[in-house]
Formats: sequence, C-alpha cells, structure tokens
Amino acid sequence: MLKKIFAWASILLFSAFSLYPILYVISVSLRSDNAFQTQSLEIISASSNFKNFSSLFFETDFLLWLRNSLLISAVTTFAGVVLASTSAYALSRYRFRGRNTMLFSLLVSQMFPATMLMLPFYIILSKLHLIDSFLGLFVIYSSTALPFCIWQMKAYYDTIPRELEEAALLDGCSKWMIFTKIILPVSSPALVITALFSFMNSWSEYVIAAVVLQDPALYTLPLGLRSFQASLATQWGLYAAGALIVSVPALILFISISRYLVSGLTMGSVKG
Amino acid sequence: MRASALLLILFSSLLAHAKPVHINVWHQMIYGHRQVLAEALKKFEKENPDITVQATYRETEELRSSYQSAAMGGAGPELVYGPSDQIGPFATMGIIRPLDTVLEKADFSALDPLATPEFMNQHYMVGDGVGNHLMLIYNKKLIQTPPKNTDELIEMGRRLTIDQNGDGKVDQWGLVFNYTEPFFFAPFISAFGDDFIKNDSVPNLNTPALRSTFQFILDMRDKYKIIPKECDYETANALFKGNKAAMLINGDWSWGDYKEAKVDFGIARIPMISSTGRWPSPLVGTKGYSLNVNMKSPEHLAAAIKLLKFLTSESTQLLFAEKVGILPSNLNARNSEIVKNNPLLKISSSVMEVGHPMPIAPEIRAIWDSLRTQYQKVLAGSATPELAAKSAQEVAEKQIHEMNEVLEPTGGALVLKILFAIILICVAWLSRKSFAAFVNGFQGPQKFAYYMMLPAFLGIFAVIVYPFFYNIAISFSNFSLRTFQDWSIVGFQHYAEALTDPRFYSLFLKTVIWTVVNVVFHVSIGVFLAIIINQVMPAKGFWRALLIIPWAVPQYITALTWRALFNQEYGPINIFLQQFMHLSPVQWLSQPFTAFAACVITNVWLGFPFMMIVALGGLQSIPHSLYEAAVLDGANAWQRFRHITWPLLLPVMVPAALLGSIWTFNNLNVIWLVSNSGEPGDQTHILVSYVYKAAFNLYRYGYAAAVSVLIFLILVVWGLSSLKAQYRKETQ
Repeated sequence: MLKKIFAWASILLFSAFSLYPILYVISVSLRSDNAFQTQSLEIISASSNFKNFSSLFFETDFLLWLRNSLLISAVTTFAGVVLASTSAYALSRYRFRGRNTMLFSLLVSQMFPATMLMLPFYIILSKLHLIDSFLGLFVIYSSTALPFCIWQMKAYYDTIPRELEEAALLDGCSKWMIFTKIILPVSSPALVITALFSFMNSWSEYVIAAVVLQDPALYTLPLGLRSFQASLATQWGLYAAGALIVSVPALILFISISRYLVSGLTMGSVKG
Repeated sequence: MRASALLLILFSSLLAHAKPVHINVWHQMIYGHRQVLAEALKKFEKENPDITVQATYRETEELRSSYQSAAMGGAGPELVYGPSDQIGPFATMGIIRPLDTVLEKADFSALDPLATPEFMNQHYMVGDGVGNHLMLIYNKKLIQTPPKNTDELIEMGRRLTIDQNGDGKVDQWGLVFNYTEPFFFAPFISAFGDDFIKNDSVPNLNTPALRSTFQFILDMRDKYKIIPKECDYETANALFKGNKAAMLINGDWSWGDYKEAKVDFGIARIPMISSTGRWPSPLVGTKGYSLNVNMKSPEHLAAAIKLLKFLTSESTQLLFAEKVGILPSNLNARNSEIVKNNPLLKISSSVMEVGHPMPIAPEIRAIWDSLRTQYQKVLAGSATPELAAKSAQEVAEKQIHEMNEVLEPTGGALVLKILFAIILICVAWLSRKSFAAFVNGFQGPQKFAYYMMLPAFLGIFAVIVYPFFYNIAISFSNFSLRTFQDWSIVGFQHYAEALTDPRFYSLFLKTVIWTVVNVVFHVSIGVFLAIIINQVMPAKGFWRALLIIPWAVPQYITALTWRALFNQEYGPINIFLQQFMHLSPVQWLSQPFTAFAACVITNVWLGFPFMMIVALGGLQSIPHSLYEAAVLDGANAWQRFRHITWPLLLPVMVPAALLGSIWTFNNLNVIWLVSNSGEPGDQTHILVSYVYKAAFNLYRYGYAAAVSVLIFLILVVWGLSSLKAQYRKETQ
C-alpha cells in the first residue's frame, strides 16, 4: 500500500514537472503583451484571450512558414528513412571492405561540436549556389541525423534472424526484393524511430536554417518565430502562441508512436 | 548603324525588364520599423521597375555573424543595415566597401556628421537617422515633472516603489531598466568624471569613475531599493508598458512600442549626478547602410547604390520620422515641420547634446564584453567595485590583444605541411589497394552492399567529413578578425595557447561535472520512472505519453521557456517557493552557481524521457518468470532490483548513457539560451559555449577551431576507452 502511494506520488510529481513549462507557454500565449510579467500562478486569468493566435494566423506569415517547414520536414524524413534503412542494411548483413571504418566513423562523428561545422557548411553551400534553396537544407538535414539513425537501424536489423532471408533466397527472390518485401516490413519500430529523428532534426532546427535561408518567403517555423524576437523588443505573446503550435505536431507524433519508441530504441542493444 | 544601335539599346532594355536586378538588404529593425521599411521599399520598386528588393530581418548578433560567413563565402546581401559599431569589425575584415568612391562629397555633407562616421579615414556607412541614445522615459500618470538630479531620482523612486496589496512584494517600481547590460549603464560613467574609452579604442576602465558607477547601481538596488533585483530588457519593458514602473531608461527606438501600448509617457535627460554635477552622457550613434564588397555584377552595384541613396534620402527619412519618430540625419529633413513640431524629437535632440558619439573600432566589442562580465560579478556580489574595475581593464586589454593578434607562420607550419604531405602519401600508398577494391566493389559480388551504402556515404561525407577536415585546417591557421580574407596555416600556436591556459582546464572540469550530473539524473530518473510505470501504474501508455512531452518540444522553445520560469520576480518557480514554501526568492539567473543549476534543471527536464523510454524497453524484455522465481526464493524488492533488474537493464542503459554523455558534453543550446550566453559574468560556460563565444563574438576562428578539435579528441579517447571497458566486461 505504502509502495503504491509512493509510486503515485512520484509519478504525479514528475508529470507536473514535465507538464508545467508547457502550461506556462499556454498561459503566456493567452495573455496580452503588457501582462507578460505577472506575479500570479494562474494559467488562465480573467483577461486571457485568443488574440495572439488570431494575429498569428491572420497578420503574420505563419501559414507560409508552416507550409515550408512541413515541406522540408517531409522531404528530409523521407530521405533520412531511405538513406538510413538501406545503408544500415548493408552494414548489418554484408562484410565488405571499409565496413568497420564506416561504423566507427559514424560513432565518432557525433563527438565533434556541431556548431563549428557551420562555417565550412556555408562555404560549400555558397560555392554550390545552394544558398536560399531548400535543396541545401534537404542534404544537410537528412545527413546530420544519419549517424544515429544508421546505428539504430543496424542494431535492429541485427536482431532479425537470417533464416528469413535465406528461405526467401531459395524461393528466388532478388536481394532488393528481400530487403523491401521481408526486412522492411518487420523493421517498422526502427523505421518509425528513424523517421521521428529525421523529422525532429529538421522541424526544430534553427541555426543552419538561419544561415542558408535568407529570403523570408522560404522561412521555416523556427526562423519565423525568431523574427518575433527582435533584439530589444520581443513579442512574447505571439512567440508563445507560435511556439505552442510548433510543438503540437511533434507532440502528436511522439505520443502516437511512443509504443514503437519503446521497442525500437532498445531492441538492438538487448540482444546485440 | 544608328538604327541597329538603337535596336540594341531597345533590346537590352527589354531584357532588363524581363529580368530585373534583385537586391538583398539585411537589417535588424524592430517590428514597428520593419513595416515602415516595407512601405518605403514598395515605393522604391514602383519608381524603379527594373529593380526588386528583398529585405531580411536578422537579430543584431546574428546579422553580424551571418553576414561575416556570407561575405566570406563571396556572397551575402548587397546592402547591410545596422548600428554604427559594426563598421569597425566589418571594415577591418574587409567585407564592406568604402563609400567615398561611389558617393559624392555632397551626399555626405547633406547629413549630420554623426550619421557618416569615419573609420580609418574612410566612410563605410550612411545613417538614415541619428540617436539610438538612452534617456529617461517617465509615465506621466505617475510623475508630473521628471527628476533633475539623482537626489530627486532616489527620492521619487522611493516614493513610487510601492507594495500596493501588502503582500510584502513590490507591485510598482520607481525605476526600471536593463541595468545588467553595460550599454545601459555606460552613460553614468562619464557623469562620474571619466570616459571609459580613450582615443576611440583604448579601454579606460580602472578608474574611480567606473568604481563609483558600480557602487551607484548597487546602491539603487540594495540601499534605496528603487530598481528590481533582476531586470532584463524584457522585464523592464513589460513593467513600463503595464504601468507598473514610473520611470525607465531606454532608447529612442522604444517609443513606438510605448505609444502602441497606450502609455502616456514623457522623456527627459537621465538625471544629473548630484555629487558631481555632471549629466550622464548617452552614446549617440547612427544606424545605417553599408555596401557589400561582393557584388554579382556592375548592375547590382549600381542598383544597390541607387537603393542606398533612396533609403537615406530626405523623403524616406521623413517617413521614418513621422511613423516611428526617428530623428532624421538629413539636415533638410530635420528642418521640416514634421520634425520641428514633434515634441519628443525636440527633447530627444536636447538629450543628444550631452551625449557623445558611439565608438566604432572593433576594440569596443572587447571593452563591452569585459565590462559586462565584471559588472555582472559586482551585481552578483562576487567582486567588489574596486576589484571589478581593475579586472575589467585587464580582461579588456587581454581580449583586445587576442582579437588583433595576427599569428605569423612558425617552424610548426612547415612541420605541419611536411607532416600533412607525408600522411597524404602514406594514406594514398596504403589505401591504393583498398581504394581499388572499393571501386571494384561496385562490380564485385558485394555490389549490392556498395550501392546500398553509397547515398548515405555521400551525404555524410559532404555534411560531416569534409567540414570536419576543413575545421582541422582552420585550427592550425591564423584565421581571425584581421586575417579574415586571407588566412594561412601558421602552426600549433592555438593548441599551445589552449593547453597552457588554466581556463581551459577549469572549463573542462566544469564540462565534466555538467555531463556527469546531467547523465546521472537522466538515467536515474529515467530508470526510476520506468520501473514505476512498468510495475505499478495502470494505463501504462498514458503515463508514458505524458512523460515523453519534454522530449517532444523543440529545444530552443524549452530553453527560453525555462529562462522565463527562473525569473527572480516574475518566474513561477520563485512565486511558488514564496507562496507555498514560504522561502525567500532565489536569484536564479544572476548568481553563478544558481544559474548553472538552472541550466542543469532545464537539461534534466529535457533528457530524462529518452532514458525512461530506453529503460522501459529494457524492462519489458526481462522475462517475468525470473521475478516469480525470486519471490519464491524469498527475495525482497531491493534484492530483486539488485540481482535481476539492474544486471539485465545494464546492457541497454550503458550504450544509451554513453550516447547521452556525448550529447550532453556538446550541448550548446541549453547553456547558451538559459544563461543568456554565459551570464552572469561568463561563469556558466562549458567548453562548447566557450568555443562558440570565441569564434562568433570575438572573431577568433582559429582558436575556436583548435579548442573544438581538443573537445573532439577528449570525447574520442573517453568514448573509446569506455566502449573497450564495456566490451571487456561483456566478453568475460
């Protein structure tokens, strides 16, 4: 009994801990700018209203940013899943020259401070005339999440018994068919995670986008939100309302696939 | 002949119409000003149908760093707009163009000299207004006549700092301003008798004037209690807009904001310092347009100059003066009725009379930076005014020296080049077979694997491998402020400097603490919650989804949200502590230790869900029969955890913790955003944020690259040894 009380108490405490900042953002998004500083802990007060949301949608380019972000994230998620699933399969099933070097460098690449890669990025992109185009972002976003995703996928593939493929090979399936018809369908938890990571990588990325995209018509959501945040006069209400809307798709995605996350993130390491 | 020439002209003008010249402008105008700019640009495009203009907003700091990288890549906007102090670095780097060759003398003499600052005897900017100076803004509802001197200021401040509802907390402040930022307290220094900068570029900080200024601010906060304990720009702004502050020190750019918020305000000089009888002297500067050195074509240059002239013309300036109240730099415009009849502008120019011009040399940045760090130490109580003034001078001198340093190639450069050649030859020789095998692999029996790998390989090479080696090259070079356009490999100096600097080791220690504390919390909270959810809770999916939330919210939103939560006066955390725990408020963000703790709390919030999910997966793979057997054997809960859960969970948690440590070690976002780039006084930095600051704030690219290579090496050595240890343990 005591154990149960303790368990409930701690889970409620942590739920509050994880929820409160979100509630706070909601609260700020419902206040007018002048009431940003308040000493009450109320989430919704008498003066709360949806003005920030309506001006977000009707007076700013929010919908344009949303469209750009959705486009970029969709493409990079797709590219990320394709790249990670194919290359991880090769790394899991084949022993070829350079395999170990590849696996090792994937891991090591995570260890370099990412911000320092900005300058060379920029120089490459401007040489290739990819500034102010989504193409450059597609390449960067889908590749930067790759090391983690490839490791993740490889660990998962390693747990799939080889007998499955051998049987199919006897039946005359091509290698590509084995991969697409047999391996991919049973790897859905790992694929979902790869998709999630690629999505998050582009959905909330700000620093690279700020350098690559200069035309406001191409802005993504993080860039758009930042423009409410002038150096000396942030429009907190608008910012909070925007931040909330940016978080919603990610939240829905996370919550709806949390089941896959559990098996996908650990499957490889348990057995491998 | 003539006909054909005419035809040619006609044809080319048709072509010009078909493809108008496209001009980019980067600016950092605040929201209200952007709308006026858009209006002006629309007019310009109408008058010049062969030119299209794209205006892009960038936050001041970001504008600076993106413009630098853009110009280095040989690109960037044709026009860049910003405060005059960006001329110094840009001109030194050689990324903006002297205007004397493209504009007439008359173009300059039509303007206030303040708007055409000279740097190294050249003009690099044309300002569209002057001002950008601080003044006292007061709420007319609360004050009839503004204070003339500091005695009156303090007396009024005390009278107007009121706890209205008797809960022991102040509801209305006498005075608010962003006093933690040195720009806002700089006006006082000269009023106490001395300038903080000599000859436009030499720091003059170890002075009685600076010490008295430090003390003056401390007194206002602690002795007279007329300013809030923690007050950044946002707080000050919101308090004044909400009629919760009687007086505010702010610049002319903010008027529009207060008008829109319907505050009935007046402006005045910042009150005279009673003890010295001198007026505080705000820095008066300009914001203006500069031309990029890189132009795509002569047509672009011509169009950019046309636009520059238009944007600084009398009519555009009048538009800005009328709509947002900027004092025009054009002398004709200043004599117009719009300006003359504007009472605010009239007082504003009287405030400017006691001001002095904004220094523009690149050195000013190092002076601000050292002033900021030392000043924040004074405010946090960790340095006395005497000590802080002394260190401010020392730090400023050191940073100026580092910034301006141009390393000459040493013997190390030759060694490096030879070493590099040898390595290249060796690698080529050793890998010739591998390379051939690699190429042949595309036809060999393994070709399926090769084609499966290829796209990812190319992506990773372009995005990670190539930039990585580029960075190593920079780390051996003298790439910095003064060698921006032509840097060269100089040797190991940056490595030697970093490794002999005690600060490197203390930062390393702090980074280790940061990593260990975070990962320990992440893993223990994660495992703890996973066990509870897995064993006790009904509706496991619900709790799992609820606790995953922090992971799903983008990091930059999280970090800024937590910064607001930690605010001393208005952050819910302190309000909660006071109302429900009856504790005194914690100065979260203005004390080094608590600011660091605030970063840790934020990062713990961000990181525990990942570990929880991994642990949940691990727990679910443990067969239930093991526990049943243990219960039969009479094992208690702790023994079951110790002998079943823990050992079986370990193989899952170790790789996750390893990855988590690497991510935490290199996590720039949280530290940078929560502590507002290292506040207070640069004492919350970890290695990555220190690198970031060195590179992008102090232009020391070579040094920053070297330190980041060191970070990388540390992680590689540590990562490999712990992987090895893990491997050994598993194979035993």
